[in-house]
Amino acid sequence: MSERASNPSTYLLVPILLIAVLLATATIRAPNLVSMSGFGSAIIVAAPLIFATYALMVLAVAGRGTVDLSVGPLLAFINVSVVQLNTAGIITSPLAVFIVALGIGVLYQLLFAAIVIWVRVQPIIVALSGFLALTGINLVILPRPGGLAPEFMQSWGLGTTIFSPVLLIILIATAAWLLFTLSPFYSNLRMMGYDERAAWTSGVRINIVRIGAHVIAGLFTGLGALCYTALISSGDPTQGTNMTLTAVTAVVLGGVSLSGGRGGAAGALLGALNLYLIGYVLATFNFGAIQAFVTQMSYGIILVLSLLLTLLVPVISRHVSFISPWSAFVVLGSVVVAIMLHIAGRGSFAPAEAIADRAPTLSRYLLTEPASAGLPALSVSPFQTFVFLAVAGLLSLVFAARLINAEARARRMGLFLYIFVALLLTGLFLAVTLQPDATLFGGAAP
Amino acid sequence: MSQPESRMQLFPIPRSVALIWVNIALSLIVAAIGLGVGFGQGMPAQQVILFTVITTAVLLWLLNYVAVSFETRAAERAAMLAAGQEPQGRPARQVWRENRVMVIAMLALLALYLLVTATVPEFRSITNLIAFLVLELILLFAFKVSGKFASGRSAFVGLIVLLALIIISSFTIDGFLSGNNVKAILLFASFLGIACIGQTMVALMGGLDLSIPFVIGSANIGLLFLTTLGVPSFVAFGFILILGGLIGLVNGLLSYKLQGQALILTLGTGFAVAGLTQILTSIGSAYGGNVFGTVPGWLSNLAAMNGKTFGLSFPPTILIWIVLAIIVIVGLRKTAYGRYIYALGGNRRSARLIGVSELRWWVLAYVISGVFAALTGALLLGWSGGGFIGVGDPYLFTTLAAVVIGGTSLLGGNGGYGATVIGVLVLQVLTSFLLGIGLSYEWQQFIFGLLILPMVALYGRSPHIRATV
Repeated sequence: MSERASNPSTYLLVPILLIAVLLATATIRAPNLVSMSGFGSAIIVAAPLIFATYALMVLAVAGRGTVDLSVGPLLAFINVSVVQLNTAGIITSPLAVFIVALGIGVLYQLLFAAIVIWVRVQPIIVALSGFLALTGINLVILPRPGGLAPEFMQSWGLGTTIFSPVLLIILIATAAWLLFTLSPFYSNLRMMGYDERAAWTSGVRINIVRIGAHVIAGLFTGLGALCYTALISSGDPTQGTNMTLTAVTAVVLGGVSLSGGRGGAAGALLGALNLYLIGYVLATFNFGAIQAFVTQMSYGIILVLSLLLTLLVPVISRHVSFISPWSAFVVLGSVVVAIMLHIAGRGSFAPAEAIADRAPTLSRYLLTEPASAGLPALSVSPFQTFVFLAVAGLLSLVFAARLINAEARARRMGLFLYIFVALLLTGLFLAVTLQPDATLFGGAAP
Repeated sequence: MSQPESRMQLFPIPRSVALIWVNIALSLIVAAIGLGVGFGQGMPAQQVILFTVITTAVLLWLLNYVAVSFETRAAERAAMLAAGQEPQGRPARQVWRENRVMVIAMLALLALYLLVTATVPEFRSITNLIAFLVLELILLFAFKVSGKFASGRSAFVGLIVLLALIIISSFTIDGFLSGNNVKAILLFASFLGIACIGQTMVALMGGLDLSIPFVIGSANIGLLFLTTLGVPSFVAFGFILILGGLIGLVNGLLSYKLQGQALILTLGTGFAVAGLTQILTSIGSAYGGNVFGTVPGWLSNLAAMNGKTFGLSFPPTILIWIVLAIIVIVGLRKTAYGRYIYALGGNRRSARLIGVSELRWWVLAYVISGVFAALTGALLLGWSGGGFIGVGDPYLFTTLAAVVIGGTSLLGGNGGYGATVIGVLVLQVLTSFLLGIGLSYEWQQFIFGLLILPMVALYGRSPHIRATV
C-alpha cells in the first residue's frame, strides 16, 4: 500500500486536470488557438518557460533544497550577451551562437556547483547571490530592451507553422532527457536528491553527480535563452525576475519536490504549459488597465495553492490510487481534442447543417433516401435519442474508468495508450492542416 | 578554569593589572591626539571635550573587552594543553595550513590592486594606496583576531568591514562624513533596519520571508489610497499595520507545514498581495496601479530628510529605529519569547519536548515580519511623498543580505538583531560609498550579489557530508 501511495506520477494528476480545463477554456474563449499559427506561436512563446522549468526541475531533483532563483536572470544574461555579441558582429553564425549560449549556461552552473560542493554554502544563498549579480550585470550589458537577434533566428519567432526549429529543439531536449532517465546516472541523481547521506554511504560519487545535474541545467537554460532570443528577436534585460517566478511556480505545479528526489520532464512540461495557458486564458478576459495585476495575483495564488497541494497529494493519492494519471491524461486529452475539433470545425459544419435541416433525420446522415416503408422503427423520438446517448455515454465512461483503473498498476504507459495518443494527435493534426484557413475561422468558403 | 561570566559583565575588567594600565594609557593617548587635532581644527571647545570623553570611554571599554576575551581563550588553551590534547603535525606545514586562506586572499587583493593600477591611470593616487593598505590590514586582522572570539565572530567581522568602509569612503569621497550624508545613511538604514526586524526573527527560526518587499509596496500605496478616500490618517496607519500583520498571519499559517519551502511560499503570497492591492486601489481610478494624493503632514515629518525630532533636526524614523532595535535586541536575549525563538531555531525536537509551541512562535514571527514590513511601507510613503508599488523592490534581497551579512544563520538558532543592525549599516555605508564613486544602481546590485557569498562562506558553511554520517 505504501508503495502505491508514493507513486510519483500521482503528483501529475493535478496538472493534468488543470491543463485539460485550461485548454478547453482557452479553445472556447479564443478559437484561433486551434490552427497552425495558433499552436505555432503558443509553442514559441512557451518554449523559454519550458526550458527554464526543465533547468529548475533537474536542480530540484538534485536535492539540498536547490531552487535556482537565478535561472531567469541567467536566461536574460545569455539573451543580452548573444544579442550584444551579434550586434557587435563578433558572433553571428548559428554554431557559434549555440556554443556561446550553451557555454555561458554551463559555465555559470559549473561555478554554482563548485561553490555548493566545495565552499559548502547553501544552494539557495548561491542562487540569491547569482540573482542579484546577474540582474545587475544584465542592465549594465544592455541598459534597455533592444538590439538585434542573430540573422538565422529571424524566421524562428514568426510562429506561422507548428514545425518551427523551436519545436524541434524542445523535442530533441525532451527526448534527450527521457533517454538520460534510462541511465544509471539518473538513478544516482534521484538517490542523491532523496537522501544525500545514504547515497554517499552507498558509494555514489555525489560531487560528480551534482556537477552533472548542474551541467544539464546549464544546457537547458542555454537552450531556453536561445528560444527567448528567437521569440523577442532582440535583447531584454528586465524579464528575468518574472521568468524565475513563473518557472518556480511551474516546477511546483508540475509535482517536482523542492526538497529533492522527485520530479520529471512530464511534470515540468505540464507545469510550464499550465502556466502559459493561465496567462493565455487570463489575456482573453479583458481586464483593461488591471490586466497585469490580475495576472500577477493569479500567479501568486497558484504558486501558493500548488505548494499546499503537494501537502494534500499524499492524502488524496491514498484514496484515488486506482486512477492512473496517464490514462486520465488520455481520457481528458480526448475530451479536449474533441472540443478543439468541434471548435475548429464549427465554421465548416454550420452551413451544411442549415441546408440539411429540411431533410429528415436519416437522410441527413445516410445521404440516401431511405425506403420509407421499410424502416419505420428507425425514426427515433427525442426520448429514444436521449436514451441512446445516455447509454453511449455510460458505456464510454465505464470503458474509460476500466482503462484508468487497469493502467493504474502499470508503471509505464501500455502499448494501447501509445497508439491511442498517436491516433488522437494525428487526428488533430489532420483536422487542423487539411482544412482551409477560411473555414477554420468561420468564414464562408468561396 | 576561568570564570565564564567575566565575559558577560557590563564593564569587563581584565584580571591582569598591567593590562588595565596599558588599556588606560592607550585610551588616554588616543584621547590626547583627538583633543589636539580637535583644537587644531578650531572646533568649539565643548564639542571637542564631549567627543574626547566619549572616545576615551568607548575605547577603554573595547580594549577591556578584547583583553578579557584573550584571557579567557588563553586560560582555555592552557587547560587543553594540560589535558594533553596538543595538536600534532609538522610546524611549517601547519602554519601554511592554518594561514593559507588568508595568504591567498591577501595575494588576490594585491594582484587585483596591481592589475587595476597598471591599467587605469586615474587609479594611481595616494588615497587609493592607503585604502589598499587598510584593506590588507583588515584582512590580516579579521583572520588573525576574529578566531580568538569564541562567539560573535560574524558580528566582529561585520564591525571591521564597517569600519574599513567608513575609513576608505571618507578618504576617497569628499563630504562623506558631512552631517547630511550621515543623516541620509542613517535614514535609509532605518528603513532597511525596520524591514529587517521580521526577517531576522523568521531567519532565527530557519525560515525566510520574501513577501516583505511586496507588503512594503502594498502598504505604501494602500495607505495613500485610504487617506485619499478620507479615512483619518492615524486610523489608516493603524489599519495598514493590522493588514500587514494579517498577511504575516496567513504566511505563517500556510508555511507552517511547508517550512522547507517557506521562501517560495512567501514569494507567492507576496505576489498575490501586491496584485490584489493594485487591483483594489485602481478600481474606479483612471490611473491603473498609480495612486495620487497628499501625504499627511505628520507622516512626512516622520520620515522626510528635513523632519524634526523634538526640535532637533533629524527625522524621527531614526529614533524609532534605535528604540525598536534596543527593544528587539534586549527582547530576544531576555524575554521568554526571544529564548523560545532561539530554542526552536536551534533544535525543533528538543524545544517541543520542553513544551514550546512551534506553531505559535513560528506564526508570531511571521506576523511581526508583516507588521514591520507594513510600517516600513508607511514610513517610505512619508519619505517619498507619493505612492508607488515598486518602492519595496530593492528590499527583496537587501533584507536578506543584511541578515546574512550580519551573521544570522539561515539555518536558524544563531545570530540576532544586533548582528543584523551591523549588516544593515554595512550595506548602507557600502551603498553610499558606491554612489559616491559614481557607480549606478545596477553595479551596486552586482556587487551586493557578489558580497553575500564570501560573507556567508566566512561563517555560514554547512558541514561536510563526511561529518554528518
